[in-house]
Amino acid sequence: MKTVLAMTCLAVFVLATAFAVRADIARPKPSEEQRIKTVYAQLEIVPDSKALSATLQIHRSDLKDLLASVEGAPTNTSFASSITHSGTRTIIAGMLLFLSLSFAGVWLARASRSGSGLSRSHKAIAVVLVAIATIGTAAIITRGNAGPPPSYAWRNLPTNLTSGRSTRGSITISLLPDDPNGGGAKLIMPVTKKNERGEEE
Amino acid sequence: MQEAVQFKLGSWLVNERAQSNAWMFAAVLVLCTLGCALFASWLPLQVSIVTVFLFAGPHNWFELRYFLMRMPVRFGRSRNFFLTAFAGLGTLTITYASLPLLYRAALWSEEGWLTIIAIWNTLLLSWLGLLVWQRSKQKTKSNWFWVLPVALALGAFNWLTPEFFSLILIYVHPLVAMAFLDRHLRRNRPTWLRTYRSCLVLPLFVLALMIWRLSQTTSLADDNGLFWRITQHSGAELLPFVSSHLLVSVHLYLEMLHYGVWLLALPLLGPLVMGNGTRSNPYARVWDLKTVPLARHPLGFPKAVAIALGVGVVLVLMLWLGFSVNYATTRDIYFTIAMAHVMAEAPFLLRMI
Repeated sequence: MKTVLAMTCLAVFVLATAFAVRADIARPKPSEEQRIKTVYAQLEIVPDSKALSATLQIHRSDLKDLLASVEGAPTNTSFASSITHSGTRTIIAGMLLFLSLSFAGVWLARASRSGSGLSRSHKAIAVVLVAIATIGTAAIITRGNAGPPPSYAWRNLPTNLTSGRSTRGSITISLLPDDPNGGGAKLIMPVTKKNERGEEE
Repeated sequence: MQEAVQFKLGSWLVNERAQSNAWMFAAVLVLCTLGCALFASWLPLQVSIVTVFLFAGPHNWFELRYFLMRMPVRFGRSRNFFLTAFAGLGTLTITYASLPLLYRAALWSEEGWLTIIAIWNTLLLSWLGLLVWQRSKQKTKSNWFWVLPVALALGAFNWLTPEFFSLILIYVHPLVAMAFLDRHLRRNRPTWLRTYRSCLVLPLFVLALMIWRLSQTTSLADDNGLFWRITQHSGAELLPFVSSHLLVSVHLYLEMLHYGVWLLALPLLGPLVMGNGTRSNPYARVWDLKTVPLARHPLGFPKAVAIALGVGVVLVLMLWLGFSVNYATTRDIYFTIAMAHVMAEAPFLLRMI
């Protein structure tokens, strides 16, 4: 029990230190860029030889979110999309989940070694913990930076455009403040240049 | 020999009477559960206003009295446990009550605000974990180590989505009253415990039925400030894809069960009368200070108990007055300060395990 307590204290100390270090930094004034509203959505680029003009088709829910962003109201997000977009919170959640699984393993090992076996309620707790861990890990992988970056979905865009195939990936819609010099909408695609040998530059 | 036969006959009669009363108890439970569900589903907003107005304050007073009745005269071996409980209770209540002021005073970004909520929730979980650990030291026969991974997993969920964690607290809190009733019956009416635990399936069934029937309904019209507050409290903003009718009804149903347990079940179900004795129920004699062991004991604190209960009565009257003058604001203030009673239930429930 003392070892467990010591490990917990160490983990809490590390977290507390992180907060203390962050606390020393003065709060920056919100810049113009920070005030840019962002909405996360999906985009599919479809080359169509029969189309007469470029057309943007948008879902009702995405438009609703965009309008809500303009008004400054909270966006109509689903449960999945409301899960953290913050790196710090994802890191802390991941760390706590790691500690939870570690201690659950210690508990299971101890219970099975003691010979008394696990009671029905203990088995239920173990199942709940595994479920929480699975869902938590899935959430962290989805919302953390685990897995390929968003640009990965667009890697074949130039090839697909020339061969007339559609490409689908995630997109961040940013609402910029009005520009006095005018200017229309801009679509920035994460496409890397390739040399003659097909290597990325 | 004759005495032994008489004793056996006496205990058989008591068991028979207790069994028949248990069926009556089950019937009342079923009726109350169905009645609450019916009202909560039919007119959720209106019934919510009336229920909170009438029962919120009195149920807090009954909780205070119940906790005072369970408080030992001397802490003894539980000194550290109670010190942790009261220190945590004070700190967490003050910080929770100051959160709305902090929100209005400082220019927090949405992310910063979520981090503050997550920190408060983590403090709450840490406090609960500390209480469980201290209690486990007194219950050496049982293994409570599993609480640590569960608390850490809950902490992880909290940091992923702090607002949903807080919303879950709102929905889970009414169910704690069921655990209190379970422990209470185990001490005072053990023959009813099996009936009660069997009846617990009913609220789950009713909840499933409510979710099924109300999920297709249109959201409630929260076109005035009060209705908007009620739907927000039930999580309508966090769960926009769920009908607010369903959310308010489910929350109100759980609240009504909670109030029912504290105001009716726990005071009325005192110790079972054995034999022909006419022992009155100390939980029901709310006016009698001597029913509280902390006040009755020669080393007790009768004046402090009287003051605490007296101040409680004044606060209940003030709450009713506040509701009459400005219902919406009083409701906001009440639900902020009422976090104290939510947290106070934890140490006393742990003491009953």
